Amino acid sequence: MADYWSSVILPMLDGAKMTILLFLIAIIVSVPLGFLLTLAVNSKIKPLSWLATIYITIMRGTPLLLQLLIICFGLPMIPGIGEYLVIDRFTAACLGFILNYAAYFAEIFRGGLLSIDKGQYEAAKVLGLSKSQTTRKIILPQMFRVALPSVANESITLIKDTALLYAVAVPELLHFAETAVNRDFSIMPYFIAGVIYLIMTIILTIFFKWLEKRFRFE
Amino acid sequence: MPIIDVQHLKKSFGDNEVLTDITFQVEKNDVIAIIGPSGSGKSTMLRSLIHLEEINGGTISIDGEAFVENGVYKKVDTIKRVTSKMGMVFQQFNLFPHLTVKGNLQLAPKMLGVKEDVEAHTKDLLMKVGLSSKENAYPKSLSGGQQQRVAIARALMMNPDILLFDEPTSALDPELTGEVLSVMKELAEEHMTMIVVTHEMGFARSVANKVVFMDGGEIVEAGTPEELFGNPQHERTKAFLAKNLK
Repeated sequence: MADYWSSVILPMLDGAKMTILLFLIAIIVSVPLGFLLTLAVNSKIKPLSWLATIYITIMRGTPLLLQLLIICFGLPMIPGIGEYLVIDRFTAACLGFILNYAAYFAEIFRGGLLSIDKGQYEAAKVLGLSKSQTTRKIILPQMFRVALPSVANESITLIKDTALLYAVAVPELLHFAETAVNRDFSIMPYFIAGVIYLIMTIILTIFFKWLEKRFRFE
Repeated sequence: MPIIDVQHLKKSFGDNEVLTDITFQVEKNDVIAIIGPSGSGKSTMLRSLIHLEEINGGTISIDGEAFVENGVYKKVDTIKRVTSKMGMVFQQFNLFPHLTVKGNLQLAPKMLGVKEDVEAHTKDLLMKVGLSSKENAYPKSLSGGQQQRVAIARALMMNPDILLFDEPTSALDPELTGEVLSVMKELAEEHMTMIVVTHEMGFARSVANKVVFMDGGEIVEAGTPEELFGNPQHERTKAFLAKNLK
């Protein structure tokens, strides 16, 4: 019995490692990228602003699964250049998640930016702070604070979205659960997978709650 | 030489002319109260002095140096240098919510590399506004009156020659205006040059040495509190005072 459990759970924990790795890579890259996109949208250089807006519209307006399929299977099929676009599945998946989530984070940060009262800019100006000092010391900290609950929400969605890797055959948590279900004709592995996802999202929730408390400014 | 000299200031928002032709001077150590009905252009005029509004015509000189001349603004550096002689206190306080009281006071001096002892200056000013015990509090945990006193201390950290107040007590509950007004009164007694846009007729009367009545984007009448409150010349002034003095 112990053997059975370890034969089911160990590969799933291995898959969970893949899930966590993807999550970390995606979040670490897409948050700053999203912020750059926000700056681009707000840029005075109109073409840059338009490009960023179009990008966000497309990435938010089409399913992540479709984007992953295009990156993993679609790109290599482009005549002529396709053969150079064959990337390792996991890398491709990371790329898909980063590109998609950056668009969401950009919108979250844009909302954060909009929430800042113009009085903050005026107070900074009459104190003699430059634009860049104002941005760094006054606007960004407040923007991130406002964005925090939405970033937390999006991060939890990201953990669950990693299950989409199943569709592009990257061996992650759900993949091993599915394998075990088919092999053993038991639905237990699904429940175990659910519990593992739940543990991951609960840890993340606790972490973000702590962050929110830490930056409550009271 | 006047410390502030405003000549023929004009300002429009689109087609709407909010300041028609404002000319006035402020002498060093003046405490000027600007009164008038809502929409008379008082705040816009005050904000123009410190370049929070761009004017469309006229000249503004601070301490003998113009930062906008006949409606043409000087270089950014010049504007910054000239306007840095003024501090400003806002109706909504505009404290930085993510910084403690101390952080609010020290951010600008530290960023701008002020030479003096910032810690000692912070302690002095918090003592002055009666908030020494709130050094590490965040703005959210303070009452409106306390927040406004922090805002005054923050403005004083930059050692301004002139302090501008844009309706500093209008956002406060009536029982909290007193503590802010008394700090302002103390500043006036120390001969700080101040321009105060206000609805507090009592303050205008007892603390200001000069009162300016604005209506419809122009200065209708100006004089000492005795002249303006005791013997107003203009019909519009009389009507306004009749409504606002009980």
